[in-house]
Amino acid sequence: MKRIDIEVSGGCQCGAVRYHSAVMLDNAHICHCRMCQKAVGNIFASLVAAPVDALVWTRGTPAIWRSSEHVERGFCAHCGTPLFYNDVNNDRTNLTIGSLDHPEWFPPKGQTGSESRMPWFETLPKIEDNGPTEAGDAGPWAGAIKATNRQHPDHDTAEWHVKD
Amino acid sequence: MADTLTGGCQCGAVRFATKLVGRASICHCRMCQKAFGSFFGPLVTTHDGHWTRGEPKWFQSSNSARRAFCGDCGTPLAYETRFGLELAIGAFDHPEAVAPQVQVNPHDKLSFVEHLHELPWRDDGGSDWGDFMAGIHSNQHPDHDTADWPPKEKDEE
Repeated sequence: MKRIDIEVSGGCQCGAVRYHSAVMLDNAHICHCRMCQKAVGNIFASLVAAPVDALVWTRGTPAIWRSSEHVERGFCAHCGTPLFYNDVNNDRTNLTIGSLDHPEWFPPKGQTGSESRMPWFETLPKIEDNGPTEAGDAGPWAGAIKATNRQHPDHDTAEWHVKD
Repeated sequence: MADTLTGGCQCGAVRFATKLVGRASICHCRMCQKAFGSFFGPLVTTHDGHWTRGEPKWFQSSNSARRAFCGDCGTPLAYETRFGLELAIGAFDHPEAVAPQVQVNPHDKLSFVEHLHELPWRDDGGSDWGDFMAGIHSNQHPDHDTADWPPKEKDEE
């Protein structure tokens, strides 16, 4: 896998756990396998790896659950954000692309786990678009979400107080 | 009468059941992206959803919404507001039964999401991938309810 010199940061929703890497690998992909689906509560996992020699946990420590003998799944114990998939036998940690501060930098180049891809997966781009939440009946309520967002911003912060 | 839909987290500590679900959706907003560590949040409204084993942990992501996950393994499980509870589609035992019908919050939609289904298939680049897959002994809870938790020790195989 090709190493790319690029400074990235990311972390969980509440900001208790943050990471940084100065190198990324060119393996951005999505995985449809049933274990990835379950680990992230989603239709697939979106992953891109950092070499372990470049990945630094800059705030807090991720919680780990061993999903099989040689795979660790990392998450924030405070807010639950899935953070990584780590095969303990190799030298890279696959970070969840959505936990990066700039997920748009890592368009997936391939997909894996064809055996459990959702049969309706290819319909998703064409499903009805309901626009912004704020535009619907729930407008004022959705506005309140924006105003009281407890999510860590999409950049590193010198100080951060995690909200309960 | 509708079939009961079941699901839960990866490790099996938290399980849920529901019969009455609304329209399933994917939400592109940055808060859902972050909460799921992915490109969007896949959620379906439930009118009778309840926890059948264990309880999730909650994170209040804003004054108006909170998000549930398994404290043991981290699987995102639900999103709750005063409008009700929504369950994470990937956490269902049969997510294929909960196809999203609608998408919301296009302002945060990642441009490449339109083309995910066209991506080439690959094996994660490792020549040892086959051996790796063959060597997996999953600790994941099966995709159905189980009588005992934690699981009883399996006989040596």
